[in-house]
Amino acid sequence: MKKIIYSINHFFQKLSRILTQNKILYIEGHTIKMFNRNISPRLFKILFTLFITLLIYFFLFIFGTASLFFVLRRSIYIIVPLILVAFGGLYSERSGIVNIALEGMMVFGAFIGIMFMVKFQDSSLNNQIVYLIGILLAGIAGMLFSLIHAFASINMKANQIISGTALNLLAPAFALFVIKLMYGGEDILFRDDYFVRDMGFLTKIPVLGPILFEKGYYSTFYTIVIIIIAGIFLYKTRIGLRLRACGEHPHAADAAGIKVSKMRYLGVMISGLLAGIGGLLLVVPLDVAYRATASGYGFLALAVLISGQWKPTRIVVVAIFFGFMLNLSGAYLSIGFLRDAGLPDKVYSMIPFILTLIVLAFTSKTSQAPRAAGEPYDPGKR
Amino acid sequence: MMKKLISILKNFILNIPNTLIKPFTKIGFLASLFAIISGILVGFLIMLVVNTPYAGGGLMTIFFGGFNKGLTSIGDVLIYAAPLLLAGLSVGFAFKTGLFNIGVSGQMAFGAFLAIFVGVKWTFLGDFHWIVAVLAAIIGGALWGLIPGLLKALFNVHEVVSTIMMNWIGVYGAFVAYKAAGLVGSTTQNAQKVARSGALPAWGLDSIFNSNTINNGIILAIIAAILIHIILNKTTFGFELKAVGLNKDSAKYAGINSKRNIILSMVIAGALSGLAAATLYLNVTGETYKIETYPIEQGFEGIAVALLAYSGPLPIIASSIFFAWLKVGGDQLSGWGYDPNIIGVIISAIVYFSALGFIFKKVVKKIFKKHFGGEII
Amino acid sequence: MEYIIEMLNITKKFPGIIANDNITLQLRKGEILALLGENGAGKSTLMSVLFGLYQAEEGIIKVNGKEVKIENAKDANNLSIGMVHQHFKLVHNFTVAENIILGMEDTKYGFVKLDDAINRIIELSERYKLKIDPYAKIENITVGMQQRVEILKMLYRHAEILIFDEPTAVLTPQEIGELIKIMKNLIKEGKSIILITHKLNEIKAVADRCSVLRKGKYIGTVDVKDTSPEQLAEMMVGRKVNFVIEKPELVLGEKILEVKNLTVLGAHSHKPQVKNISFNVRQGEILCIAGIEGNGQTALVEAITGLTTIHEGQILLKGDDITLNSIRNKTLGGIGHIPEDRHKHGLILDYTLAENLILQSYFNPEFQKHGFLKFDAIDNHGRKLIEQFDIRSGQGVKTPARSMSGGNQQKAIVAREFDRNPELMIAVTPTRGLDAGAIEYIHKQLIALRNQGKAVLLISLELDEVLNVSDRIMVIYEGELVAEVDPKTTTENELGLYMSGSKRGVLS
Repeated sequence: MKKIIYSINHFFQKLSRILTQNKILYIEGHTIKMFNRNISPRLFKILFTLFITLLIYFFLFIFGTASLFFVLRRSIYIIVPLILVAFGGLYSERSGIVNIALEGMMVFGAFIGIMFMVKFQDSSLNNQIVYLIGILLAGIAGMLFSLIHAFASINMKANQIISGTALNLLAPAFALFVIKLMYGGEDILFRDDYFVRDMGFLTKIPVLGPILFEKGYYSTFYTIVIIIIAGIFLYKTRIGLRLRACGEHPHAADAAGIKVSKMRYLGVMISGLLAGIGGLLLVVPLDVAYRATASGYGFLALAVLISGQWKPTRIVVVAIFFGFMLNLSGAYLSIGFLRDAGLPDKVYSMIPFILTLIVLAFTSKTSQAPRAAGEPYDPGKR
Repeated sequence: MMKKLISILKNFILNIPNTLIKPFTKIGFLASLFAIISGILVGFLIMLVVNTPYAGGGLMTIFFGGFNKGLTSIGDVLIYAAPLLLAGLSVGFAFKTGLFNIGVSGQMAFGAFLAIFVGVKWTFLGDFHWIVAVLAAIIGGALWGLIPGLLKALFNVHEVVSTIMMNWIGVYGAFVAYKAAGLVGSTTQNAQKVARSGALPAWGLDSIFNSNTINNGIILAIIAAILIHIILNKTTFGFELKAVGLNKDSAKYAGINSKRNIILSMVIAGALSGLAAATLYLNVTGETYKIETYPIEQGFEGIAVALLAYSGPLPIIASSIFFAWLKVGGDQLSGWGYDPNIIGVIISAIVYFSALGFIFKKVVKKIFKKHFGGEII
Repeated sequence: MEYIIEMLNITKKFPGIIANDNITLQLRKGEILALLGENGAGKSTLMSVLFGLYQAEEGIIKVNGKEVKIENAKDANNLSIGMVHQHFKLVHNFTVAENIILGMEDTKYGFVKLDDAINRIIELSERYKLKIDPYAKIENITVGMQQRVEILKMLYRHAEILIFDEPTAVLTPQEIGELIKIMKNLIKEGKSIILITHKLNEIKAVADRCSVLRKGKYIGTVDVKDTSPEQLAEMMVGRKVNFVIEKPELVLGEKILEVKNLTVLGAHSHKPQVKNISFNVRQGEILCIAGIEGNGQTALVEAITGLTTIHEGQILLKGDDITLNSIRNKTLGGIGHIPEDRHKHGLILDYTLAENLILQSYFNPEFQKHGFLKFDAIDNHGRKLIEQFDIRSGQGVKTPARSMSGGNQQKAIVAREFDRNPELMIAVTPTRGLDAGAIEYIHKQLIALRNQGKAVLLISLELDEVLNVSDRIMVIYEGELVAEVDPKTTTENELGLYMSGSKRGVLS
């Protein structure tokens, strides 16, 4: 036993020596350098996590996956919307409003999006245009739906958890009611015309090409762009600065002349926008029908937000990890040794939630939540 | 000891008229009324938009559906009310101690599993069969509530997220558990029904209400409500729990062990959810446990019940009967061309408007002061 | 003489109270006008009206002779009025620069551009001698520096009229001296200042004139150089104020509290807040630990009472080691605790007065049997204490604590703790935020305890209280005890030097 540990240790030492001597990857002082250029610590964390995840997948592959690429692709369909919805939660809470209604906003946004797409899936419009408009509508629907929560929390100073719970109850009830009315059943079947076999020349890129640009959805890329914009917007722009001030110290923002309620409305509406889109994105690539449920993804996104300590980079890292776990429930049949293990398939569905509890146990001790989140703003209190 | 019990009972009975009338004069009741009316209005508006000519009929059904078949319908209301009452107690009790228990569904799920297990398999218990089944349900719910309680007390994990995680673990776990224990029923989406001896006895209610699906669940639920009321308002334990819920720091200063109280609170809330599962599933001719990918809906309806009653144990009795009433009416809505899901919309609207109750109270107090000069509590 | 600001006949009401009743305030250009009054006199409210945070029901405001409407902070800023708040309005995890520019950011296509702003900040900080680091995060800088950031916020917005709200509450005497220099500098640069305070010696040191408020009403305005502190105090309080309290001779008994080599770490930072402190308190004496807020007093008291964990050291009560005891056990062992924050620790605001009065004793056989509360006994106990301690409340024992005034809330806490007859009473800033009458009352109670032979550990920031009430004074600075002095022989100045770490004394 000792020998194995020894040799592993030896291997890593050799590896780090090679990397350092050849200036491929090393640490100088306090900065991380790659090929002699500084790497922002944020970028590094994300790349590192991706690397580890890929490594794990690689090992699974060795143990017998006929379709490694399928497994990888599926995990992207899960991770990317998860990050999007978590960012939605981030915007709301950073502006000072606790939003546990992400789940409801996802359900509602997806509902409107799917209804449109099903109506137009046989029309003469190009499929991808239909999908794009569907995404936009889902976002707008989520945004409008979130106004209900914003009104209660900001104007009425209501308890934000109760208001959020009301929205979570309302969305599926409303959706099912309308579905019964319009389609007679309990779900909306749609045809997946949005799947793209081959996105042209991009598939020629080695390794990444077939994974990212073959047999995928354009929506993945729209979303990644949205995520990057959202991250930059919150931390580099004037509105982002003001929004964050409202979540940390609304009195200071008010004294600086900022309208706290306006900023908070913006925060909640953006969370509705992002959650609505995220809801649609979790239905189209992964299912054949809309069933008026988000299966707990809204709350998983909330857990990602909390474990990520309300910081965008950490959220991405945690989401990659969670998404990987979530993926197992749908993809385990493609992973040799897991399929042979013979565990009932619902066990895989349970794993992400159990894991979330464990991760939360480790990351909740010192909460770095925005200090004013959850408290209605009272200008009179000093 | 006996004398003490008699005097407590006497006090309680003498207080009943007061407790029943007082709510109608308090502003909290008015706020609840406002929430109810607003919620139903929302449902009515939707019914109007969707199927205009029948909206009035639909509304009538909702209001009077509970009388439709006379006593039997009232019996149906009580059958629906029992689990709602207990679910509401679970949410309300936790709320009074500062915790949001959104995990009633999961607690019910695990309680149901243990109850059905005992109810199907332990027929050797004879007369005690149903009692043990009820206890199993209570223990199951308590255990499922213990975990979020521990996570919060020891690791500061927010109970909203953890209880919902437990809900989903319960949902998927049910698939695995029922299959492994051999308790799957005639179709894969249902569990088996329990044996006659494991089901809750009717205690005469079946002849009173002319129903062969009613059982003593509602009586058990009301007893539980009274017990919770006593615990919260008359004991040192309740004093400590409320203190922790109102101000954790002052409670700590006063030497109260908030960790212990948080854990106990979640365990009791879980136990109540477990009892709810017992009233719902320990029967031969009533509701069957559905093995599906949705959490048990009574869990979320319990939130509405508790919020409408502002978490008071005795008002919860009233609000659970009210929601049960809505449900019975809702069952009959399909006759008018509406999907019963409209009730779900109404319920969520009521929850929403009860959250607005805070401002409602402020506005009403102001108006009262202006026009009547005095104070309204 | 031109008035740059005039507030004429201002009346501002809140539910149940008239905070400002027909007040007139006039500020001359280039002067420092002190606004003097006790806590609750209405000073902060009046200035909040001037700064646009509140709107007055009656009265007008004139700037440079022209009548204006100030409806929010932006209006005030546009009129060159700026305010340095008592509780800083700074975002803790933003940098100094971000806090200063908040609301006035330079942008390019919506992105925040800091370069010009930082240059301007550095220029301002050098001109007014306000040393700060623009890139530091607020949570990492000292309180004195944070205050300088607040001042720079105003100067960045070209404020000409500066309002300082109780600026010296959190500063050492030396930092106060620096602030006075800064204020005089600002005047030289042509600014005008309103200084809200209740500290008479500061008014004498820096103000030209002083306007006095009492219980919401305007009393008058005087020239500071012609008025003595006694006269100012009389205007503020309305009667002759006795600064010294009568105390019988000291009769010392056994050591009740012994603290040995106590070290306590901060909850978040893991830096030692209390470093190897040792001291004791005897029966029959009032030991006061004096110091500026934030030097370890909070951690010290929390360690002794059990609210926080001890890293190293021992605590002995009547000779017994109670270091690891639970809070409940310590309380039962004979410790009374009047906490620093009456809302956070001392009371449960949504409980009634009667319930709060048994908060520490609800488990006694007097108030419960077999776990069931005895409501009659609880109410009787409440009524007894209300009478004994003269606690004013709207509905007697059934009053929700939330609706009681600050002074009466504090009286309730005092009543509860005194009623338990503790051997050791720990009182942390027990008179903070109270009016003179309540302060006098609590001091009397503490001295009465001491006369009965109990031990009192008093933590205080107010030098008057420290010097008048205690029998022995120790000074805490950055977690260490740096001096032990006799109140009869020491001076405010000497205490100030110890409190600011400029001098270290000898401990017995």
